[in-house]
Amino acid sequence: MVSLADSPTATAPKKRLRTGGTLNRILMVLLLTVVTIWLVVPFTMAVLWSLVDPETGWNYPDLLPPSLTVLRWVEVWTTTALPQAIANSYMLAPTVAVVTLLLASPTAYCFARYDFPGKGLAQVATLLPLVVPGFVLAIFFSSLIFSLGIYSRFLSILMAHCVLFLPYAIRIMTVSFGQVRQDLIDAARDLGASPFAVFRAAYMPALLPGILASLIIVFIQSIEEFAIAFIVGAPNFTTIPSILYSYLGYNFIRPNAAVVSLILVVPNVLLMLGLERLLKSANPAQMGGKG
Amino acid sequence: MTALRSIDVSKVFEDGFTALSGINLSVEPGEFVTLLGPSGCGKTTLLKIFAGFYAPTTGRIEQNGADVTNAPPEKRDTAMCFQSYALFPHLSVAENVEFGPKQNKVPKDDRVKRVNELLRQVDLEANRDKLPNKLSGGQQQRVALTRALAMRPSVVLFDEPLSNLDAKLREQVRREIRSLQREFGFTAIYVTHDQSEALAMSDRVVVMNGGKVEQIGDPEEVYQRPETAFVADFIGSANLLPFERVDDHTVDTPLGRFTVDDPPVADSRFLCWRPEAADYGVSEGENVVASDISERAYQGAYTDVHIAVPGAPDQRLHWPGSASSMSDRVTFRLPPDRIRFVRGELG
Repeated sequence: MVSLADSPTATAPKKRLRTGGTLNRILMVLLLTVVTIWLVVPFTMAVLWSLVDPETGWNYPDLLPPSLTVLRWVEVWTTTALPQAIANSYMLAPTVAVVTLLLASPTAYCFARYDFPGKGLAQVATLLPLVVPGFVLAIFFSSLIFSLGIYSRFLSILMAHCVLFLPYAIRIMTVSFGQVRQDLIDAARDLGASPFAVFRAAYMPALLPGILASLIIVFIQSIEEFAIAFIVGAPNFTTIPSILYSYLGYNFIRPNAAVVSLILVVPNVLLMLGLERLLKSANPAQMGGKG
Repeated sequence: MTALRSIDVSKVFEDGFTALSGINLSVEPGEFVTLLGPSGCGKTTLLKIFAGFYAPTTGRIEQNGADVTNAPPEKRDTAMCFQSYALFPHLSVAENVEFGPKQNKVPKDDRVKRVNELLRQVDLEANRDKLPNKLSGGQQQRVALTRALAMRPSVVLFDEPLSNLDAKLREQVRREIRSLQREFGFTAIYVTHDQSEALAMSDRVVVMNGGKVEQIGDPEEVYQRPETAFVADFIGSANLLPFERVDDHTVDTPLGRFTVDDPPVADSRFLCWRPEAADYGVSEGENVVASDISERAYQGAYTDVHIAVPGAPDQRLHWPGSASSMSDRVTFRLPPDRIRFVRGELG
């Protein structure tokens, strides 16, 4: 999620805003409408559904549930492996995010800062994991894992997730490494900086937004991923999506599914908002000011 | 002892491009030397070899008598002022200036004292906590120079530091750099393609073309006594004429017969005179030329007059009066001591 303040149009001179006032207002209203329909309404529905009282239900033509209760929350929490699944998911996703970032960075560095024969082909090749359907990958990956003799479920899912989400991290970090200014690297070296100091002074400020973006995106992808987590992990290693999917399909229980979705989504949203803040305060040089 | 010296330095890049060949240059301590030439002449490459960013393909670099050919930039006693300023955008002015001493493990007290003193000297105290992007171009340039000076380098390398400033500011910053150089006494090597910058600032000018040194001399020397057609043409404007030698002090040219003080030598190719060298209002005696005017352009302080002579295209002179006071013909005299001979090709 990129905030409006970071986009080039928002930092453009105020004059343009004034001249295109009407158009801007129309676009703004349109954007708010779309955001409401796509995000606010489903989210509110999820909250309401998770609070529906099983005694009365929520049927047509009631606009709102006739009575609300936290019974569903208690039920899901006490009768399923949800607490363990939360622990698993929140251990897995940050690890995946960090490992993926570390694996992606050298590749991204080469893509951004070197020219070599076959670079275009290599860049396309790194995107391949995106086009393979998750379940296909999961089925063959699980057999591969077992023939390799790796029995740790955590490690297996970690490896699979890293492969699956590398394309995102590589793309983001390639852009970031491309923004590192050569003159700053030269200046830092010229001023006697050690390789580590050069990294801190010349690379880090340009990389930081990319690092955070890559961490967030991979974290969210990993925490929401179902196919691999289910096929490789089940039944010993449960993640939040495994529980969510158990309420879908044949024994469909919408209120319980709503509870699990909220547990899955709310921390993600909070995390994203928090990091967004951090990103801004960490990088004042990126915002505004004349060149 | 020379501050910095290149011995037979050449540089061939990986793609086969020869950027420099056979560069011999000695810079004395405290000297302000300018590398002047058109883009692609190798001047920036030579500067980067002095800084340590490039290793020369052949040849050596000596600093204070010690061989530093293979020393990386972080180990050299040189500091560079970049064309783009290259200030760290996330660090304040004071932090930028402190960066170098910090990397070199200067104790905190000394460091702070040094930074404060420098910021006062260059009049940046009021801006010490600002980020670079809140400063004007001229101020950023001054921060860049201050940051270089905080290293107390014996040599400061300037890579076209004024090219991003507008004309008025350029002249002001140029004077600032020169006065700081005198005040701190550092050796300066200054790369530029602007001949007026080179003439105004330098103790010595190194004119470069096509990866070679064309001429080394003080500003007056390279302007008044150019050795090659390239130098004559690149610095200021020059009129070049083919000539035939009559005797040591007489030559024939398309403009007529001229008496000269300095005789042409074996490899002299052109007679060279400056547009402002002509004496006006003299119509009799030796070296007098009378010609039709083909074109005139009013320039304020003078009028740029082109004269049409068969066999000598593009001859121009600076008429000191206004354009309206001129007739269609011009008569002038070339003093024998203002006529030079140059070698080399044109263009």
